[in-house]
Amino acid sequence: MDFERFRAGGCDGSSRFEEGGIAVSVTSAAEEAGTTIGDVAEDLARASLALARRFHAGGTMWCASPAWPFHAHHVAVEFVHPVIVGKRALAAVTVPPGADVVATLRASVRPGDMVVALARADDAEVADALRRGRAWGVETVWFGHGPRPATGAADHVVWLDGDDELEASERFVRLYHMLWELTHVCFEHPGLLKADPECTDEVCITCSDEGRLAEVVSVEGDEAVVRTAEGTERIDTMLIDPPGPNDLVLVHAGSAIANVTGKEEISS
Amino acid sequence: MSPESTDFLYPFIEGDETDSASLLADLTRSAEGKWAQSSGLRAQTLERCEDQLRTVAAAMAERFAAGGRLFAFGNGGSATDAEGVAQLYTRPPAATAFGPRRPTPLPARSLAEDQAVLTALSNDIGFDVVFSRQLIAHGHPSDIAMGFSTSGNSDNLLVAFAEATKQGMLTVGLAGYDGGRMAADPNLEHCLIVRSDSVHRIQESQASLTHVLWAYVQEALQTAAAPV
Repeated sequence: MDFERFRAGGCDGSSRFEEGGIAVSVTSAAEEAGTTIGDVAEDLARASLALARRFHAGGTMWCASPAWPFHAHHVAVEFVHPVIVGKRALAAVTVPPGADVVATLRASVRPGDMVVALARADDAEVADALRRGRAWGVETVWFGHGPRPATGAADHVVWLDGDDELEASERFVRLYHMLWELTHVCFEHPGLLKADPECTDEVCITCSDEGRLAEVVSVEGDEAVVRTAEGTERIDTMLIDPPGPNDLVLVHAGSAIANVTGKEEISS
Repeated sequence: MSPESTDFLYPFIEGDETDSASLLADLTRSAEGKWAQSSGLRAQTLERCEDQLRTVAAAMAERFAAGGRLFAFGNGGSATDAEGVAQLYTRPPAATAFGPRRPTPLPARSLAEDQAVLTALSNDIGFDVVFSRQLIAHGHPSDIAMGFSTSGNSDNLLVAFAEATKQGMLTVGLAGYDGGRMAADPNLEHCLIVRSDSVHRIQESQASLTHVLWAYVQEALQTAAAPV
């Protein structure tokens, strides 16, 4: 059998590559355009620390990938059932393949949760779910490749260059394996699992000029009940175009101050 | 990666840590190192397995040409590899640098996806038979059984390979480490091994093997179908 040959030859061909420095070409496809991770490493590091903080505080991670459901399943099982014995099991779950991502998450997520999506930038369903992240109080991470989504489309955008789906697919596996590994490294730094001191401004509503993102639950005349990261509240909607259920609005001091249609960028 | 070995002497230090900059720098370096490791293993693995990949692809193309179907299976992360294989073969990307243009959709299915079947078999008989019993129900001599494991030791894969061989199916396995029990299994005709002792790095290179194998199957089918 073929494998006898591989076995007899020993497994480690690395010396060849290091000494000879020969570029190996199996097919043009098998050769990688670039072999370094580049700036993506830092984005991944930030996402990992953010997730570690949320897990530490009891959050659940929701994984969604309408185009590649196997990736979503892989991310979830990675966190729930770690490959390294002794690492803690973390709360991660896949949005069922074929399910309405927005409706499923709207019903399921709690403030403090995380949503990790793997999708191209033109996946409207994923984009719509992630833009609601701040209203739902969830941290959002978007893995993808090819053209990038708009600024602010997610809290963490971890993006690969290149349009080839299979090349990207292989790199996604690396990225989420590392996401898991780095998240667990963060657990070894309990002092850093509390929110960054510089982020405390975000919770100060009255002194901030920025509005908070809210999702409309129901509308009654010039008032609406909305959902924000802090819970539900009744707001005045006289200053904006009359919103409908599930619309996004910006809320400031008890009033909706703008409709958020998705055409504009959500400032971070 | 690992905490400083002297940490136990200063348990309060980590707890009082408030500046995340140095941790983020460490994480970034770690990601860069692992990425390079993964790239290196990928290149080594594809180089070492090149002849074997061509052989397996030719055998698989024969089965597909004869009306055969691919059944993929595995546990945990490997179950998601099987799910990915089923998607790749049935709904290939319209164009990819890996394979020929206009790849042919091929019949393939993951045996790890139907929760009713998986739980019924596990509950009533046992987890060792979750894949083999499905092959008993569906298998045909022209079909292909493809099992994914990192250890190479999963009982339910070995039981499935035995059933597949009994039926005359083509058997293909992907394993890691030294191939484990799969490497020496007389019921497994082709065993592609990623020589690594990291489950993550193994799965990453198995994904690459899977993609190149699929591309070679497509090439073999198109070559066979080309007018003489």
